[in-house]
Amino acid sequence: MTDALEPRLTRNWGDPSAVGVDGYVAAGGYEALHEAVGMAPADVIETVKASGLRGRGGAGFPTGMKWGFVPTDTGKPTYVVVNFDESEPGTCNNRELVEREPHRLLEGTAIAALAIGCQAAFIYVRGEYLWQSMVLERAIEEAYEKGFLGADVCRSGARIDIVLHRGAGAYICGEETALLNSLEGLRGQPRLRPPFPAVEGLYASPTVINNVETLMNVPDIIARGADWFRSVGTEKSPGTKMVTISGKVERPGNYEVALGTPFRAVLEDLAGGVLRGRPLKAWTPGGSSTPMLTADHVDVGLDYESLAAAGSMLGTAAIMVMDETDCVVDCAARMVEFYAHESCGKCTPCREGSWWATRVLERIEGGHGREEDLPLMGEMGNNILFKAFCALADGTASVINSSLLHFADEFDEHVRLGRCPLKVVHAEVLA
Amino acid sequence: MSRADVTLTIDGKEVTVPAGTLIIRAAERLGVEIPRFCDHPYLEPAGACRQCYVQIEGQPKLATSCTVAVAPGMAVTTQHTNPSVAGAQRANLEFLLLNHPLDCPICDRGGECPLQDQALAYGPGDTRFREAKRVFPKPVPMSPLVNLDRERCVLCARCTRFCDEISGDRFLELFGRGAGERVGVSAGEDLRSPFSGNTVQICPVGALTATPYRFVARPFDLAGGDSVCGHCSVGCNVRVDVRRGEVVRVLARENSEVNDAWICDKGRFAFRTVDAPERIVTPLIRDHGLEPASFGEVLTWVADRCRASRVAFLAGGRLTDEDAYALSKLARTVIGTNDLDHRRGLDGGLAEEIAAATPMAVTAKDLESATLIVVLGLDAEQEVPVLHLRLRKAAARGAKIVVVTARRTRLHDVAEHVLIAPARLAAALRAAASGSHTTGDPMLDFVMGAVGASGADGVVLAGEQLGPAAGDAAHIARAAGARFAYVTRRGGDRGALRAGVHPRLLPGGRRFAVAAERAEVEAVWGPVMATDPGRDATGILHACADRQIDVLFVVGADPLRDFPDAAVARRALQNVATVVVVGTEVGDLAPFAGAFLPAAPAIERDGHLTTWEGRSQRLRPARTASGLSRPDWEIMAGLAIALGGDLGFETLEELHAEMAGLLAPRRIVEREPPPTPGPFAGPDLELFTYPLLVDEGRLSAGADELKAALQDPAVAEVHPETAAACGLIDGAKGLLRTNAGSAALPVRVTEHVAPGTVFVPFNQPGLAANTLLAGGFTEPAAIEPAAVPVTTGSGP
Repeated sequence: MTDALEPRLTRNWGDPSAVGVDGYVAAGGYEALHEAVGMAPADVIETVKASGLRGRGGAGFPTGMKWGFVPTDTGKPTYVVVNFDESEPGTCNNRELVEREPHRLLEGTAIAALAIGCQAAFIYVRGEYLWQSMVLERAIEEAYEKGFLGADVCRSGARIDIVLHRGAGAYICGEETALLNSLEGLRGQPRLRPPFPAVEGLYASPTVINNVETLMNVPDIIARGADWFRSVGTEKSPGTKMVTISGKVERPGNYEVALGTPFRAVLEDLAGGVLRGRPLKAWTPGGSSTPMLTADHVDVGLDYESLAAAGSMLGTAAIMVMDETDCVVDCAARMVEFYAHESCGKCTPCREGSWWATRVLERIEGGHGREEDLPLMGEMGNNILFKAFCALADGTASVINSSLLHFADEFDEHVRLGRCPLKVVHAEVLA
Repeated sequence: MSRADVTLTIDGKEVTVPAGTLIIRAAERLGVEIPRFCDHPYLEPAGACRQCYVQIEGQPKLATSCTVAVAPGMAVTTQHTNPSVAGAQRANLEFLLLNHPLDCPICDRGGECPLQDQALAYGPGDTRFREAKRVFPKPVPMSPLVNLDRERCVLCARCTRFCDEISGDRFLELFGRGAGERVGVSAGEDLRSPFSGNTVQICPVGALTATPYRFVARPFDLAGGDSVCGHCSVGCNVRVDVRRGEVVRVLARENSEVNDAWICDKGRFAFRTVDAPERIVTPLIRDHGLEPASFGEVLTWVADRCRASRVAFLAGGRLTDEDAYALSKLARTVIGTNDLDHRRGLDGGLAEEIAAATPMAVTAKDLESATLIVVLGLDAEQEVPVLHLRLRKAAARGAKIVVVTARRTRLHDVAEHVLIAPARLAAALRAAASGSHTTGDPMLDFVMGAVGASGADGVVLAGEQLGPAAGDAAHIARAAGARFAYVTRRGGDRGALRAGVHPRLLPGGRRFAVAAERAEVEAVWGPVMATDPGRDATGILHACADRQIDVLFVVGADPLRDFPDAAVARRALQNVATVVVVGTEVGDLAPFAGAFLPAAPAIERDGHLTTWEGRSQRLRPARTASGLSRPDWEIMAGLAIALGGDLGFETLEELHAEMAGLLAPRRIVEREPPPTPGPFAGPDLELFTYPLLVDEGRLSAGADELKAALQDPAVAEVHPETAAACGLIDGAKGLLRTNAGSAALPVRVTEHVAPGTVFVPFNQPGLAANTLLAGGFTEPAAIEPAAVPVTTGSGP
């Protein structure tokens, strides 16, 4: 079914000129913006609502509804903030989307700004994305020159400015309220909700925060309509999704698939199967923070509902594939270490729990596990899950809980043998 | 139950609280204890420590009760009734204790530590942690007063939030992230805030400790009691901790009407004077030198010299209400003089009358709901620090604050400042008070217009820096219908004003010169014997110097240090026949004193202190009076008996009964506005001075860490325009001259003083500013670069 998909976000990826404004316009770019400036903001929001577009950053919240929450009569300015702090391990689709077609993001951002009456939008770029920042800066310059941004957007009289802000390299700043703090020059730590950003976001003003991929879907929705958008994907998860597949596969990379596409199709048809045809052992459907699944789950559809039913999440659709030569304990230790390193430190379960879990997992992997470590890890996962200030810690807990759920035997074996049972296999592979 | 009230149940018990109340506060009302670390009732919710989980029925996840507001019909269960909540709390304590050093036996907090207490009550009995704990170098000094033991820190962010939300002195900050997150100050900086000690008190573990108390005592070895701080007129409620008779610590007590949960570092750390070697606790009498004697001997000796003599009283700022009242009555009824004053060359006119007659016309709480607060001639942070915090709180709640002074204050980030030289401000206020359509200064015209427009939603606070112009400020506020308070600085000032330790005012602000008002006092006291109007402090000292006074009582005062004319004060003490010192020490007065009577300081006292609002607060002794020292009022009563008179009270109860009648609130009738103003002008260069919080004052004696942290040396501050006109360079020495004297001081060039002025602090190390003054706290002056000594071999 994937080969039947008409590419949407990736349809101009074959055209190197699409990175520039002329190439983008030649391919039909900014037509949606021209259309949107003539529409009532409420109609823009209604169209996006009707399309069923859901946030692509991980939580899957309906985008049109999010825009509809923004009050426009508070006397304060409203802001659009683009979350381009793509930091989830295994995820790099925003990066390529922007590298290949930055104007699609600017167009989507401008339409969002029109919808909520915003005159200043901010793109928060992951600190490590230097090249992508330069691409975007160039695109913003071009868009101003062509009148797609600035004091008179598409000669409509509307003003939209876009400001690019580079982060300093912190995973937590992808959390929307921490992102807002960072954007304001404060410590990148999450804020209490309520108030929600839609009411009191950037500079205590109503704010919409959207992921890059989400906004890049918007121009087509305006230009081609909600029904066109819904023509692929599932009823509750319409449209396409960028999937990043990495790890032990033949052809890792970014692929656009219809939501609901089974994992097997992505793995076998697009990524060319598990590396060297070895058996699949485990995979994360949406980045390391989403619970691991196993070979038993290869036919699960990649959409919000199916993955939830399977005990995991779509997340950012960053699939990491582990084969039978990979040690789950080792993988879990490295993933948890990432969350320990990136914990902002604000709350106890995340700061202390991830720190402790890293040490215990490394100890087990290093051959010094104790029998009581397994129940301890099980409890620790539950003591972290849903206990922290923000969802970062739930990523830590997901790794612990899902690896224990599916691979308890492997943990046991580490403790029993007093070493990693797979180290030998590694040696054979490398020979 | 009002519409804004919400009813919910906690552990099945119903409670009704105002909408917006946090669950943890509602639980407190029911007496349901929920453990917490980051939550503090005077700080914004943080949700950081995650200790206060509760279950809200219908919600899949546990909630932190410190961040969630109540809702109608909400059903909350706590660890007392819900095992999963108890389990989550136990798990969280296990996390918190992973890296905690558990060095309770040597930790200052051990025995009064929220982490210790709550770990015992709600935590696991043992740890499953087998790895190595985090370690840090320790202690890390945040300032000379505050130390950080990082290993103990649970990163609740109370201290950083205090600095951010309450004091505005943003020195403490969180650095790093994850398990490496830590509290600290930026490289090269100190936690330089006069409120730093509060961070120690609200630390829920032993991470922040105060240098003066570090390793000094165990909490269970402490005795002591609840008292009221007498360092300034805010009247912060404190607890004084005593170990084996020695005061070792002062803590803030919560009182939302007065000090919320805060005190300043002076109140907290300047306590050693009561145990200082200079403290004298026996009566002394001059016989060659000052020799110990009995109370009876000394009182008789003093009484003999008072008979048929001209007697005057100078009182200081530390007296309790009872002391001031007894002194006022003794002077006027038994001795028969109106020569008594508690002020030092200040005269607030109508402002004083209002302060004496109308307690609680403006309260600290009132400031929070005011729309406009005009602060005239008051550096709240330095003079009345916890009022400064209340003003910041008012600003955060939307009050517009305008500060009109000659020197910028630390309210600058929340208030507008109008900087103006004192003489010009006085002229402008006189003009406004007399009804003139302009003050002479467009900015002040604007401020006065705002006062007029705000009416009863406006508050005018007048400070001592205004000098006599405080009275004009009172006229302006009354004319505008705004609320008015005269904020005197010292802890005993307001009580002394009420009691009439004042040449012209009898108790309750009644004027001696007005027969009807005098009669109200005489109805209680019997005849007020003196017929002449009294002399104020300036008049008394000049009269002493001119040998027109025979006996001078100095009660809790030191004119040499406090009076704004050091030369006159010295001559007065030299020329008066008999000086009787009543106080905790003789100090610099030793060469002049004929007799000394040992008074007990506030912490050893039962009695009252009156705040700047006029709130009379009860003191309780934290320890018994040292040696033979006793309350001043008892000394006054004893003296009355020695003189053959009787003050009419022998116990505090009798004294209170009499005071209650005379000191009841009185209405001040309309007064004539002051006459037409003079020109809006002042001297070319005007010296002005006021005391900074941490200075060489006797009450700060021995507080070495406090001084190391906060005491500035004396400098002369001038505006860049003044510096340019006088050829002064920032950092170089300037020679400051007035008619009274001269001093060479380092110059600080700053835009934060008014042009045409030079500021020197009143009593910092390096300069006693009263050597430059001639009776007031401002003086025409000249300043020039100090001559640089020519070193040998230099020059062409």
